[in-house]
Amino acid sequence: MTAITRRILLGSALALGLAGTAAAQFPERQITLVVPFAAGGSTDVVGRIVAERMSQELGQQIVVQNVGGAGGSLGAQQVAQADADGYTILMATVATHALNPLILTQKPYDPVADFAPISLLVLVPNVLAVNPELPVNTVQELIDLAKEQPLAYASSGNGTPLHLSGELFKSMAGVEIDHIPYKGSGPALTDVLGNQVPIIFDNLPSASGHISSGKLRALGVTTAERAPSFPDIPTIAETLPGYETYTWNALFAPAGTPPEAIEALAVAARTAMADPAVAERMAEFSATIVASGPEELAAHVQAEMAKWEPVVRDANVTMD
Amino acid sequence: MSTKPKDGTDIAAGLLFMAIAGFFAWQGLGLDMGTSTRMGPGYFPMVLSGLLFILGAVILFKAFGRPDDEPMGRIAWRGILFILPAPIFFGLTVRGLGFVPALFVTTLIASQASLRMRPLAALVLSVVVTIMSTLIFSYGLGLPFRRFGPWLPL
Amino acid sequence: MELLSNLALGFGVASSLTNLGFCLIGVLLGTLIGVLPGIGATATIAMLLPITFQLEPVSSLIMLAGIYYGAQYGGSTTAILINMPGESSSAVTAIDGYQMARQGRAGTALATAALGSFFAGSVATFLVALFAPPLTAVALKFGAAEYFSLMVMGLVMSVALAHGSVLKALAMVVLGLLLGMVGTDVYTGAPRFTMGITQFADGLNFVAVAVGVFGIAEILRNLENEHDRQVMTKNISRLFPNRDEFRQMVAPILRGTGIGSVLGILPGGGAILASFASYTVEKKLSKHPEEFGKGALAGVAGPESANNAGAQTSFIPLLTLGIPANPVMALMIGAMIIQGIVPGPNVVSEQPELFWGIIASMWIGNLMLVVLNLPLIGLWVKLLTVPYYVLFPIIMAMCSIGVYSVNSNTYDLFAVAGFGLLGYVLSKLRCEPAPLLLGFVLGPLLEENLRRAMILSRGDPTTFVTRPISATLLVLSLAILVLVFLPQIRKRRDEVFTESDA
Repeated sequence: MTAITRRILLGSALALGLAGTAAAQFPERQITLVVPFAAGGSTDVVGRIVAERMSQELGQQIVVQNVGGAGGSLGAQQVAQADADGYTILMATVATHALNPLILTQKPYDPVADFAPISLLVLVPNVLAVNPELPVNTVQELIDLAKEQPLAYASSGNGTPLHLSGELFKSMAGVEIDHIPYKGSGPALTDVLGNQVPIIFDNLPSASGHISSGKLRALGVTTAERAPSFPDIPTIAETLPGYETYTWNALFAPAGTPPEAIEALAVAARTAMADPAVAERMAEFSATIVASGPEELAAHVQAEMAKWEPVVRDANVTMD
Repeated sequence: MSTKPKDGTDIAAGLLFMAIAGFFAWQGLGLDMGTSTRMGPGYFPMVLSGLLFILGAVILFKAFGRPDDEPMGRIAWRGILFILPAPIFFGLTVRGLGFVPALFVTTLIASQASLRMRPLAALVLSVVVTIMSTLIFSYGLGLPFRRFGPWLPL
Repeated sequence: MELLSNLALGFGVASSLTNLGFCLIGVLLGTLIGVLPGIGATATIAMLLPITFQLEPVSSLIMLAGIYYGAQYGGSTTAILINMPGESSSAVTAIDGYQMARQGRAGTALATAALGSFFAGSVATFLVALFAPPLTAVALKFGAAEYFSLMVMGLVMSVALAHGSVLKALAMVVLGLLLGMVGTDVYTGAPRFTMGITQFADGLNFVAVAVGVFGIAEILRNLENEHDRQVMTKNISRLFPNRDEFRQMVAPILRGTGIGSVLGILPGGGAILASFASYTVEKKLSKHPEEFGKGALAGVAGPESANNAGAQTSFIPLLTLGIPANPVMALMIGAMIIQGIVPGPNVVSEQPELFWGIIASMWIGNLMLVVLNLPLIGLWVKLLTVPYYVLFPIIMAMCSIGVYSVNSNTYDLFAVAGFGLLGYVLSKLRCEPAPLLLGFVLGPLLEENLRRAMILSRGDPTTFVTRPISATLLVLSLAILVLVFLPQIRKRRDEVFTESDA
């Protein structure tokens, strides 16, 4: 049986035209970009836009594979354990490389030791917005109102960057606001639009349509600078100096990946992000392009973990 | 012939439901029950386990004093032996062996579940299924499967 | 007549040769991939999504929408032919559709599904065009308390899904609810019943559970007595329904369309109730409720129409609010963003040709589906003449690929095997899988909304009766409960009387 099986295997292999070629310059075959979230989400969108442009640059197809689950941990874990040859890379986020490692009590991977950084691609602002029926127009008015009456805010889930943005806000403003987690941004937005919950912390891209149509009133963006796509929205830091959070996307390979491969990928990523067409897409998306090198990304991860560690500890958020 | 009629199927069903309820309740013991305002993760499952246990008990109780109108019949042991391992095998090997060999063996395993399937026919079927699926999913739709994985000395 | 000019604009966009072409490709691909066992609409869209990225925004979304209802259609076909639903909605179709197929009435069942879907799709598309903005306002009135009461109503209805013992059906619902609890708790992040397996952190995969308890359990049952049991009757009488059957399907299709259209508007999971609700209504109104579960035509016609109507109207929250009602809609939002369209309330005013083009293409797509599928029925029915021992290894191969392709998660495949075994054991114990599946789908929604409502009301349980919509839904649930149990009680009383007579 095994002999027959083997022959069939070989036969079908030949029939399918399996190409076995000699070693050449990286990349010599298709690259898999693991997106650790479901297709259609913001990380997936950034990943697909970048992958398409990088494919042209590298002369090999970059295929996006969605490995969703456990807040991005499953996909990140899969890449951490993949062959360190540069053919499996990860579209990482603030969740996979700063928050989850701090929140999870069982660590499925080490964000520093298990990965080789490639490039920090973009920063995406978050936004604090309210239903227009809530009688507040500024961050200060919201803080004042929260001191007088109980309020609640919606987020896309427990332990997400948006939840922690809310927790950081609460601790810096010295107010108590109930957290109502949802399964993703969509349902959270629905309830805020319907005024079931008055306040939301959301990604700017997903809330932007509602802000410009007036269905949501944006009080402040979470970045240190105002967002270029919405210059009229003040930053939260203008009221609470030092407040800064954002979501970011970066490329990582498994630790031990050959430097040539890292270099080739980093160059391709930088070229891709410099393309005006890509830049335009990112701007529509309210994302700020960074396109850093590997060293900057490594430093960025350290900085982010240092920033979030006290927030996570104070908010007492844990997961197994 | 027992004197008292009883519905064996329902007895088994009742016991099974009670056992599952017990399992969930036991697993849920460590979960925080919370308060009725802020219910903990353990609140709802515990209520449900209790409910399932009661339903199981009622099914069990009502099974006595009633004949089993439709006994269980034969059990597909051969089916269980070959059908259930097929997806498991695919899951374990699709990354290592790659899509093509994993699917081929999966189909071959599944085809053994029927007594009517002869070895040669099974082989032909598996080859055809593998080739068609590879053409459709891997080439046609471009799904990100590796066709041949790192376990193969190719 | 702004509507007319809008519709004219829409049809102008949708009937351009390119867009007609992409609509056709979408519908065709959707049907062909969706018909593969274990691959539902979500998996199909996820697989085909990248193909659409290269296209113009309007064409891309038209094609995606086509894939969506094509896949849904294909999924019903699989449910009818081999009892393997790929979506919660087609689980209901499987109940009576598969029984019809076994009796040699597969053609009738498929034709009924096609015609019902087309009618429901047309009506619902018109509703979308006419009432999208005001209906959105209604949808936003639904908060946590309302959704909880709606889910309660769904659970009460689920009892009607069973044609055997009500007690066992209830137990199966509760078991389904418990299985729905598996995964990370939304509120605290605590893992529940995951056995320490991170891969189950997001809960059990619906397709894995559905394929297991329906499809694999059925394969095992068919393998029990291979020599003296025919899976399918070989004599297939007619491919198309006769006049009498046409008359039978009219009312269920109308009611199903109404139910589905209303429930589809609710973004928090209303559409998943559509087919279940329609089935309950049909069984309740039928003069022969005992036929349900044994191949009742109304049990296919109603739910299929409701399902398709719901699928169309669930575009309302997507198009007017930019809010996804289900995973498929979430994928479409992603597609919009990739195309550089910011989803949200501005799409209607800023991109009228996109908005109305999609709406017009929905109707065209539905027309294509029915034209395409009526002739295909002959082919599908012929598929049933393939010997079963050839068919089921193919089914197993497709299931494995389909389940794996969604999330590349090996544990989903282990779950398929596990639930196949559980489903088989339960079916040997005469417990039906449909109520379990409904419980599984509703469980998380029920719990999430209950807990959210309690937090929002600060622990005051009267929130469920003081909010008018929620109260109405609870009263309705009570009424349904009485309707379901009254005949049982009456029957028992009759039994008592006959016994005392003897």
